[in-house]
Amino acid sequence: MERREINMEKLEAQTRRHFIKNCTLGLGGLALSSLISACDRGASGNLRLSGPGGGPMAPKPPHFPGKVKHVIYIHLAGAPSQLELFEYKPDLVKLNGKACPQSLLQGKRFAFIRGVPKMLGPQAEFKQHGESGAWISNYLPHLSTIADELTFLKAVHTDQFNHAPAQLLMHTGTPRLGRPSMGSWVTYGLGSENSNLPGYVVLTSGGNNPDAGKSVWGSGFLPSVYQGIQCRSDGDPVLFINNPDHIDRENREASVRAINEINKHTYDEFNDPEILTRISQYELAFRMQATVPEVMNIADEPRFVHDMYGSDPDRSIFANNALLARKLVEKGVRYVQLFDWGWDTHGTSEQGSIDVGLVNKCRQTDKAVTALVLDLKQRGLLDETLVVWGGEFGRTPMQENREGKTNRFKGRDHHADAFTMWMAGGGLKKGFSFGETDEIGYSGISGQVTPYDIQATILHLLGFDHEQLTYPFQGRPFRLTDVHGTVIKDILA
Amino acid sequence: MDRFRDFLNNLYFSIMKKLFSYKTLFFILLPAFVSLVVWNILPREEIDYNAQVKPIFNKHCISCHGGVKKSGGFSLLFEAEAKGNTDSGSPAIIPGRPGQSELIRRLTTDDPEERMPYEKPALSRDEIKILKRWIGQGAKWDTHWSYVPVKKVEAPDGFREEEKVRQWAQNDIDLFIYEKLEQLKLSPNPEAGTDRLARRLSFDLIGLPVPDSIYAGLGESSPETLKNELTEVLLNSPHFGEKWAGIWMDLARYSDTKGYERDDSRTIWKYRDWLIKAFNDDKPYDRFLIEQIAGDLLTDPTDDQRIATAFHRNTMTNDEGGTDNEEFRVAAVVDRVNTTWEVIMGTTFACVQCHGHPYDPFTHEDYYKFLAYFNNSRDEDTFDDYPVFRHFEKDDSIKLAELTVWLKEHADRSKRDEIVKFVKTWQPSYNSLKSDQFVNSELADTKWLVFRNHGSSRLRGVDLNGKNTMIYRYRGFLPGGIWGIHLDSADGPLLKEVKVEDTGRRWTYNEIAFDEVSGRRDLYFTYSNPNLKNPLSNGLMFDWFYFTASFPGKGKPGRQKAKNDYWHLVTRHALQTPVMIENPPSMSRTTHIFDRGNWMTPGKQVVPGMPAIMNALPDGVENNRLGMAKWLASTQNPLTARTYVNRIWEQLFGSGIVETLEDFGSQGIPPTHRKLLDHLAWKFMRDFNWSTKRLLKYIVSSATYQQSSHSRPEQLSVDPQNKFLSRGPRIRLTAEQIRDQALVVSGLFNPEMYGPGVMPYQPEGIWNSPYNSRTWTRSTGDDIYRRALYTYWKRTSPYPSMLIFDAMAREVCASRRISTNTPLQALVTLNDSVYVEASLHFAKRMAAYNGTIEDQIAYGYELMMNEKISSEKLEILMDLYNKVAPPARVKRVGYSRESPEDQHARRMAVLGNTMFNLDEFLMKN
Repeated sequence: MERREINMEKLEAQTRRHFIKNCTLGLGGLALSSLISACDRGASGNLRLSGPGGGPMAPKPPHFPGKVKHVIYIHLAGAPSQLELFEYKPDLVKLNGKACPQSLLQGKRFAFIRGVPKMLGPQAEFKQHGESGAWISNYLPHLSTIADELTFLKAVHTDQFNHAPAQLLMHTGTPRLGRPSMGSWVTYGLGSENSNLPGYVVLTSGGNNPDAGKSVWGSGFLPSVYQGIQCRSDGDPVLFINNPDHIDRENREASVRAINEINKHTYDEFNDPEILTRISQYELAFRMQATVPEVMNIADEPRFVHDMYGSDPDRSIFANNALLARKLVEKGVRYVQLFDWGWDTHGTSEQGSIDVGLVNKCRQTDKAVTALVLDLKQRGLLDETLVVWGGEFGRTPMQENREGKTNRFKGRDHHADAFTMWMAGGGLKKGFSFGETDEIGYSGISGQVTPYDIQATILHLLGFDHEQLTYPFQGRPFRLTDVHGTVIKDILA
Repeated sequence: MDRFRDFLNNLYFSIMKKLFSYKTLFFILLPAFVSLVVWNILPREEIDYNAQVKPIFNKHCISCHGGVKKSGGFSLLFEAEAKGNTDSGSPAIIPGRPGQSELIRRLTTDDPEERMPYEKPALSRDEIKILKRWIGQGAKWDTHWSYVPVKKVEAPDGFREEEKVRQWAQNDIDLFIYEKLEQLKLSPNPEAGTDRLARRLSFDLIGLPVPDSIYAGLGESSPETLKNELTEVLLNSPHFGEKWAGIWMDLARYSDTKGYERDDSRTIWKYRDWLIKAFNDDKPYDRFLIEQIAGDLLTDPTDDQRIATAFHRNTMTNDEGGTDNEEFRVAAVVDRVNTTWEVIMGTTFACVQCHGHPYDPFTHEDYYKFLAYFNNSRDEDTFDDYPVFRHFEKDDSIKLAELTVWLKEHADRSKRDEIVKFVKTWQPSYNSLKSDQFVNSELADTKWLVFRNHGSSRLRGVDLNGKNTMIYRYRGFLPGGIWGIHLDSADGPLLKEVKVEDTGRRWTYNEIAFDEVSGRRDLYFTYSNPNLKNPLSNGLMFDWFYFTASFPGKGKPGRQKAKNDYWHLVTRHALQTPVMIENPPSMSRTTHIFDRGNWMTPGKQVVPGMPAIMNALPDGVENNRLGMAKWLASTQNPLTARTYVNRIWEQLFGSGIVETLEDFGSQGIPPTHRKLLDHLAWKFMRDFNWSTKRLLKYIVSSATYQQSSHSRPEQLSVDPQNKFLSRGPRIRLTAEQIRDQALVVSGLFNPEMYGPGVMPYQPEGIWNSPYNSRTWTRSTGDDIYRRALYTYWKRTSPYPSMLIFDAMAREVCASRRISTNTPLQALVTLNDSVYVEASLHFAKRMAAYNGTIEDQIAYGYELMMNEKISSEKLEILMDLYNKVAPPARVKRVGYSRESPEDQHARRMAVLGNTMFNLDEFLMKN
C-alpha cells in the first residue's frame, strides 16, 4: 500500500511551479534544434507526469492496452426524448391522454411537472432495423441504416434533473462546478498523439454553449493544460491563432526566432529550465498557426464528403463539427467533444416541442452522425475510436404541465430515471442493446447504468482502471468517478 | 546499533535479576555493569509520533482503520479509538508493552489471514521497530503540528555571528533559511541588482511594473535607501490594494455572474472595492475576517461592514428553471463551510461532508455542527440574490439621514433599527418562493409565486406578533383582481382583502394595514379576477412579503415627511449588493447531519459547535456566526495565522512554506521550514498586530527575498525547485500582471479605480449562455485599458486570455493557481488584440525616442525591464529590425503604405510585438 507515498511524489511533482515541461525534441518547423537540445540537461528530471517524449501532453501508456485511442463524444444538450427515438413503447400509445397514475408520481421530483399530468403517447413511428432488430424511429432515418454498428444503453439513469448539474455530472462526475472534465482526465492520463494540435478539442453548435457553460470542458483542479480547447468555425479556429494584420507569416517566423534567440541568452544568464520550455512552446505555437487552420478548414473537402455529412463550409452547423471530429481524430487528437444545443423539448414553444422541434434537431444531426460513424469505419478508424451519443437525462412519458397547466405543444419534462444512450466503435458488442425499461419507459427494470458507469466504461476502453486514474488534491486522490462507477462489462466485445 | 543496545539491555536485566544469588559474579562483572549503567544514562532518543509514527499509520493502516472505515472496530485517527477496545473486546495498543500489543502481533505474525496490512506487503523491519519502540515508550500520542497553537519561535542563533552570515543576513528570516541551506551545503545567492529588485518588489507589492514617476522621484539615494523608500512608496500606493484584492478574489470566488446555466449578472463589485480599500487601509487581518464572515452581526454595523459580508455571497445562485431552490441554498451553505476552512484555515473540510475525515481528526458530525453557523442566513437561492444591501446616493442618502434623525427622536431604538434595516435591506421578509399548497397557482419558472383565476396558496408560519402592516413586492397583470389573505386555511378567517390592478408588468410595492392577530400563523392567499378569462393565464405575481407594525410617531411633527421619505427609499430602484443577514428567531432553521452528505436524507439534529481538535470559542462571545468569526480570528486558532502568512509567502516566492496552501493536515506536503512558519505566524499576530503591510515589509526586507534568481548547477541538482531558497524567486507573472504590464509599458494604462466590471477586447462569440441575452459589449473610451482586476468576470465563460494564463474560473474558491507554460499562452501575447494594440503603442513610444535605432530599442527595453539591454540582445533585435519586411500598413495606429516615412515605425511595430514576448518580460526575475 504505497499509495500515500506515490501520491505525495505526484503531488510534489505536479504542484511545483516547474510543473510543465515540454522539451519536445526534433519537431521540425523552425530550425532551432541547437537551442532545444539544451532541453535535456536543463529539465533536471522531475518529469514524472510525462511519457518518454517529455511534456504533459506527450503520449503516455494507459494502465493496460486499451481498445480505443480516441473518443468522440456527441452530447445533445437539452436532452433528447428516448421515447421518440429508441424506446418503442406500444403501451404508452394506449395511455395517451390519460391521467398519470399516482404510483408514478409518489416520491418523485420533477423540474416542471406539477400535480397530476397526462400521459403522452409516442409521437414517432418505430420499426426494427438491421440484423440486430434495433428499434429506431422514423425521426432518425439515416441512423437506422447503421443499427448494427451501434451499442445501446437503454436504462441509463442519473440523479440530476436540471440541465447544468446533469451535464456536469455526465462530464465531470459531479453535479457541482469545479471538477475536471472527462476529456481532461483522458488527456492527463494518455497525453495526445499530435503535438501540433490540442489534445482535447471542443466543438459547439446549436447557437448556445451547453447549459453548464465551459465548465463541462474545464480542467478543474488539473493543470490548465488539460482543459478542452474550443475550436470554432467562425473567427479564429483557435483563439488568437491568427497573426495580427501587420505581421505576415515570414515576419512571424523572424520574430519568433528572435524571441527564442534572446530567450536563449536569458537562459544562459539564469539557468532556469522553464525558459527552455518557453522556447519550445513558441516553436509549437508557430507550428500550430499552420496546422490548426489547415485541419479546421473543411472548404477543401471533396464534394462527396460534404454530401455524405450534409456539411456546408459557409454555415455554422452541427454537420461541419461532425466532419471536423473525423478530421481531428485522423490527426491524432485524443478527445473530441461535440455539444449541440437545443434538444430541450418541453412543449412550451414549437421549436421546443417533440413533434416539431425534436424532428428538426434530428434532421440537423441524423445524417451527419451517421456519416461520421460510416466515415470512421471506411477509414479504418472506427476500431480505434469510441463514439458516444447521448443527452444529460431523458424525458418523461407524461406530457409536461408546467405550473400545473398543460403546455401548448407536445412536450415532455426532464426525466432522470431512464433514458437511452448509444456508443459505437472499438471494443464493443456491435448491434447490441443493453438494459430494459418498463412498459412505458419510465424506469429501468434491468441493466440500469449511471453516468459513473459510462465514465468507467469509456476509461476502460481507453485502457484505464477508473479507480486508479487519480490526481491528488485537497489531501486525497480524486478521480472522475468519485466513489462510484462499475465498468459495463455486458457491452464489451 | 539498536540491536546491540537491545542486547546489552537484556544482559543488564538478566544480571540485575541474578545479581544477589551469584554474589561472586558481582565482582567479576562490576566493570561491565558500570559501563552498562553509563550506557543507559545516556539519553535514548524518543520516538516522535508525528514525524515517525503517523506517517507509517497513514501509509499502511489508515485507509482501513481511519475516519471512513474502522475495520475490526479499530481506528488510528483518534487516540481514544486507537487505545480503546476493538471488536475483540480488548485494545490493540497497550502502552509500554509492545510484546502484548495486538497491533505488533498482527504486523509480525506469519499467518497470512491475520498478518496486516491484509493482502499487502508487510511493513519493513525498521517500521515495525519504530512502532515497537513507540509503544514501549508509552505510545505517546501527539497532535498534528498544525493543530497546536502557535508559539513564539526564536531564530536559530548558532551562526548569527559567522562572518558570511553577518554579511548576508538582513533579518531573522534569513537565519532560518540559512540553517537549512547549511544542512544542504548550499550557499545563498548575492543580492539581485537594485534595478531588477525594484521590478520584483513592484510586481510583488502592487502588481505593476515600477511606476516611472516613483522610480525617478527616488533620485540618487544609496541602493539601501532606495530599496527602503521604494518599499514604503509601494506599500502606500493605492495600487497596493488592487493587487492584494485580486489575490483574495480567487479565494472569495468573486464573479460578476451567478453561475450555473443562465449565469446571469450579479452586482457585487462593491465587495471588490471593499477589498481594495481594506488592503490599502491595512485593515488588520483579524478584523478583515470578522467583517467578511459576520460584519452584519456586529453592533450597529456600518454599511461597509455589511458589504464585507458579500464575501460569502459569492456562492452561486441557480436560476435554471425547474431547480429546487432549497437544494441550491444548501449547496451555497456547504460551499461557505468548505471555503471558510480552505481559505482561512488551510483545511480540506469538504471531505467531512460525506463521512468522517479519512486522515485528519474531524468527524462527520463536526462538519454539520460547523455548518450550523452558516445555516441561518436569509438567502434562499432567489433570482435577485436576496438578501441585498441597497446603496443610496446623493439625495437619497440625505433622505435616509434625515429619516434616521427623525426616528431617533420619535421611535424607540429597536423600532428605529428595524426600519433602517428594512430600508437598507428589505429584510427580514418572506420570499414568495417559500409558498406551497398551490391550487391554480405555482412558482413561475420555480422563482416567483403566481396566481391564475381562483387560485390559492399557503405561506407557512408567519410571525404576526405585534404586526399590523404588510409591505410586498408584486406585479399585477390585469386590472380587477381580488387578493384575499386568510388565516389558517384557504377558507379560514379573512385577514384582509386587497384590490390588485395592472402594474404594467413592473415590480411594484404596496403597503396594507390589517387588524392585529397573535402567534405564528399560516397565511393562505386567494386570488380571483372576473377579467381573467383564460384559465391558464396568470393574473398576479409576488416577490416577497414583509410584516411589520405601523410607522411610528403618530401625531408627531414631521411624521408625514418621514413616512414619505421612508416609502421613497423602500421603493427606490437602488444598486444592490448581495450580503449576509441572519434569520430572526421566527425564521430560523434547524441543522441536521446529512447522511452521506445528501441533503435529501437529513439525520440527527445538531447545534453549532467547533471540532474538538480546535481551540474553544473565545470567552464571552455568542455561539453564532459572529462568535465563530471571532474564533477564526483568535490568536488561539492554530491555523488562521499560519495559513495566511503561508499564502503571503507563496505570493512572493512562488511556493508556500507549506506548498499545499489548502491543506495543512497530515496529507498535505509538510512545511519546508516549520519553525520559520511559526515564527512568521507569531510575529504577524503579536508583533505586527495582524498587519499585512508590516508582514510584507518584514519578508521583502530579508536577504532571502532580495537574492538574485540565477541558478548555479549545484543549486539545480540539490534543490531543483528552489524549495530551500538558495536563490531568489523567478516565477511567471500572473495573467493579470502580464496584461497590466503591457498596458503600463505601452502608455495605455488607465489607473482609474473602483466601479462596475469593464469589458476590454474579447474575441467575438465567446459568450453563449442559454436563456441569457447579455452580450459582451466592449467598454468605451479608456475603460478598456483599466487594470485586469476590473475585467467583467463571467463564471461559465471567463475572459479567455486570462484563463489561458492560469486564471481561475472562480466557480469555487481556488487556493492556488498552478502556473503552466503552453503554446496557447504564446499565441495570446503574440496575437490577442490587447497585446497587439499595446505593443503598437509601445513601438510608437520607442520610435518617438530621440536617438538612433539602437537607442530607441534600448529605451524600449528599459521601459519594459527597468534595466539596460545587453549588447547580445540588442544585436538580435537590430538584426530583426533589418530583416523584417515592413508591413504594408498598420491600420490600428494609422500607418499606411502611402507614407514611406512610416516605414521605420512599421518595422518598430514588429519589434514591439516581438519584445512583448520575451521570457524575462513575462517573468519576475
